[in-house]
Amino acid sequence: MRPVKFSRSPLLSQRLPAWRQRLLLGLLLGGFLVLLGRSVYLQGINNEFLGDKGRARYERVIEISATRGRIVDRHGDVLAVSTPVKSVWAIPEDVKLSPAQSRDLSKMLDLDVRDLNRKLAADRDFVFVKRQIPPELATQVAGLKLAGIHLQNEYRRYYPAGDVMAHMLGFTGIEDKGQEGIELAFNDQLTGRAGSRRVIKDRRGNIVEDVESIHGPQEGKDIVLALDSKVQYLAYASLKKAITEHKAKAGGMVVLDARNGEILALVNLPTYNPNNRNRLAGAQLRNRALTDTFEPGSTMKPFTAALALDKGKVRFDTPIQTSPGKLTIGSATISDAHAHGLLTVAQVIQKSSNIGAAKLALSMTPAEMWEMFDHIGFGSPIKLGFPGEVGGRLRPAKYWKPIEQATMSYGHGISVTLMQMARAYQVFARDGDIVPLSLTRLDNPPPAGEQIFSAQTAREVRAMLEMAVQPGGTAPKAQIPGYRVAGKTGTAHKLEGGAYANKYVSSFVGFAPVSDPRLIVAVMIDEPSAGKHYGGEVAAPVFAEVMAGALRTLGVGSDAPLKPLQMANVELVKEGM
Amino acid sequence: MLSRFAGGIDTGGREELDSLTLWPALALLLIGLVMVYSSSIATAEASRFTGNQPSYFLIRHSVFLAVGLVTGVMAFQIPLRLWQQAAPWLFLAGVVLLILVLVPFIGRSVNGAQRWIGLGPINLQPSELMKVFAVLYAADYTARKLDDMASFRKGFVPMAIVMVLVGGLLLREPDFGAFVVVVAIAVGILFLGGINARLFGGLMIVMAIAFVILIWSSPYRRERIFGFMDPWQDAYGKGYQLSHALIAFGRGEWFGVGLGASVEKLFYLPEAHTDFLLAVIAEELGFVGVALVVGLFALLVHRCFAIGRQALVLDRVYAGLVAQGVGIWLGVQGFINMGVNMGLLPTKGLTLPLMSFGGSGIMANCLALGILLRVDWENRQLMRGQQV
Repeated sequence: MRPVKFSRSPLLSQRLPAWRQRLLLGLLLGGFLVLLGRSVYLQGINNEFLGDKGRARYERVIEISATRGRIVDRHGDVLAVSTPVKSVWAIPEDVKLSPAQSRDLSKMLDLDVRDLNRKLAADRDFVFVKRQIPPELATQVAGLKLAGIHLQNEYRRYYPAGDVMAHMLGFTGIEDKGQEGIELAFNDQLTGRAGSRRVIKDRRGNIVEDVESIHGPQEGKDIVLALDSKVQYLAYASLKKAITEHKAKAGGMVVLDARNGEILALVNLPTYNPNNRNRLAGAQLRNRALTDTFEPGSTMKPFTAALALDKGKVRFDTPIQTSPGKLTIGSATISDAHAHGLLTVAQVIQKSSNIGAAKLALSMTPAEMWEMFDHIGFGSPIKLGFPGEVGGRLRPAKYWKPIEQATMSYGHGISVTLMQMARAYQVFARDGDIVPLSLTRLDNPPPAGEQIFSAQTAREVRAMLEMAVQPGGTAPKAQIPGYRVAGKTGTAHKLEGGAYANKYVSSFVGFAPVSDPRLIVAVMIDEPSAGKHYGGEVAAPVFAEVMAGALRTLGVGSDAPLKPLQMANVELVKEGM
Repeated sequence: MLSRFAGGIDTGGREELDSLTLWPALALLLIGLVMVYSSSIATAEASRFTGNQPSYFLIRHSVFLAVGLVTGVMAFQIPLRLWQQAAPWLFLAGVVLLILVLVPFIGRSVNGAQRWIGLGPINLQPSELMKVFAVLYAADYTARKLDDMASFRKGFVPMAIVMVLVGGLLLREPDFGAFVVVVAIAVGILFLGGINARLFGGLMIVMAIAFVILIWSSPYRRERIFGFMDPWQDAYGKGYQLSHALIAFGRGEWFGVGLGASVEKLFYLPEAHTDFLLAVIAEELGFVGVALVVGLFALLVHRCFAIGRQALVLDRVYAGLVAQGVGIWLGVQGFINMGVNMGLLPTKGLTLPLMSFGGSGIMANCLALGILLRVDWENRQLMRGQQV
């Protein structure tokens, strides 16, 4: 049966046309179908593109910092270690602090409220509020739940030995990069390689989901130093005591292992606490043993004597006339503290005669002397990797005047660092050769040294140096019980503005035991001003104290009978300056 | 009457309420509640405005739903006859509210739009109520002037004048979305009421031509209107919100990232719990969730038209037009909101009916549903030969 339309049925004559309702409903349902189609497109077809856009918006690759390697001494004692700390940072735009909250936060972080507000008002996306706060404090800050204030993990370097090792170890900057000392010299090995992982962050920077690890962090390597903590402490304590006693301005000390060139201790004073570097002055930072040069004075004489012996100009017992204690070369006159008369070469060293040394020097050509200085490392930096290492002053031989050649023989008109001097004394402690210095512990025999003098010459000068610390020499106070010691004092006027001032640098370089030298110790004391200034009085006792302690610490067998030392009643021979 | 309702939906095999209307509507309201909570939890916790309470919007939306359901039940008790009598007065009250909202110190402004009247702890949004009143009034107007519908002067012009007035008030706020919905309701009901088809068609064609000319004559305007089509061009500026909505859809894929796991709601997508609720549904529940919501809306609109048709067959013109007017409202507003979420339409600032956060909107929706169910209930009574 054909359906009867409403409009045709007189009973149900509808006044409103039904097609309009169907059309409108159709349009609306059609609209919903379009929505479904669009949804299929967005969620099933174009979802890769949209997913990429999303990842670009909130996926971030974050760095997982690698821990910086530790620095340990030769026995494995920790000298520098990284400890986890937190840094407080902010997105200024998101931060809305009430005055009370600002006050709480500034008090907690020990900041001035105005400083804090200025930081948070900065027109930047990221500001550090305070860096490197202890984890416990960070927990308190997090407890405040302040919008826009965030914490991030960082590492802070901690140096358990504090100021004792400051110049040796150096320190790292706020970005955990080495800035001084070992931290700088070995920065590449100490720094690991940061790892990274992919995370999803919300718009405020909080990580809400961990997506994947891209690569794990590669931790930094530990550095094992040649340094011996006990020797270092000993050196530090003795030098500090001496500087206080002699009211000196500064000082430095280096301890080397004569067998392989390892640096066992390096002390400079004044020093600083690397864990708290507020109010740090330039003078404290100076790694004097490497960066400051000084005219060494008489510690230079043994090299002059060795060269003359090596060149066959003299024998150890060749007499040299030093009377009347004055010698005029050109327009200048050099002198000795005492008039010694006729001295053998050995006595020139023992009594530290300037005139004797000058006469030895003048028997050689400037080129020969220059070559010797250059070979033992004067005039060019050692290149240990420390910042600011200098080479000292050594003028080319062709410009030397005879008076210069004469004064250089006893350590004036030439300047060196304390480390250079300690290194050069290897030629006497060893059999005439020099091996490279090493900051790190050597587990293999050292590379072959560079032969400077013959072994015979070295042994002869070693004997002269032993005489210098015995009664009749310049430094009987350098003697230690149970060991045979050799060494040389140095006392030099300081150069100030091109003229020699009435200020001194006292030094002593020596080694022991003489029968089989193990340690070289070099001491330098700058401007002792408590009355005494001769190396034999100021520097030699420090040397003796450290050498004795270090030899016992290292368990070096004694090579001399334990008998009372003759020093108290012996008038020490004043060296020429 | 209340006892009948309380007696249950099904009494003695005779259905009292249309379950195909009631259940989809309740389902949308409840899905809306869950998704409002999910989409607002992070922003609520982080905002000082909400007192850092994660459940700030959940609690309020629950109260709105409760108030809305009571409103709906109350609306259900009132016969359509009374609704028709009240319609012009309600419409007038709505106009008064729309004027009040523009008065300084009475109307409250948020983000440059003055749309709210502050009443102590709650804010009333007159434009939402105006949508229901527009349905009631346009149906009343059309039912009264059924014989003049063919006349341009008598049938169309009076309504056009009223719409220009109301439209002007809505655009002053500005609330362009409500303007579009109210005009769509009025025009739709006039169309259903049999307004001269040739006249209507001519009007539509003229409007379409004017629109096209306007757009093509100015590249700037073209940019403004069609800018939404390529949000990636200025993805961090004008296209920011839409690009994030689209990313949410893309991330949701077929089955979603899981309830609560949206990343977009973590401060990226603005208005996630209101205008862009569907984007969060799309991300968390995937295409399945979107299809469910679209399907429920389609079912609801279909029922509105079916109930209206039944009323018209019973010669109850007013009731029929009200029911279909509710269908037009829910259909148009739902379509526009979802279209905006999916980048099919320019952003208008319309909420998703029955689902988005907002007290006035939920109340107006529930009021309309109550009246819709009343129309159906009266239809059933009449078909059984009873009086209403």
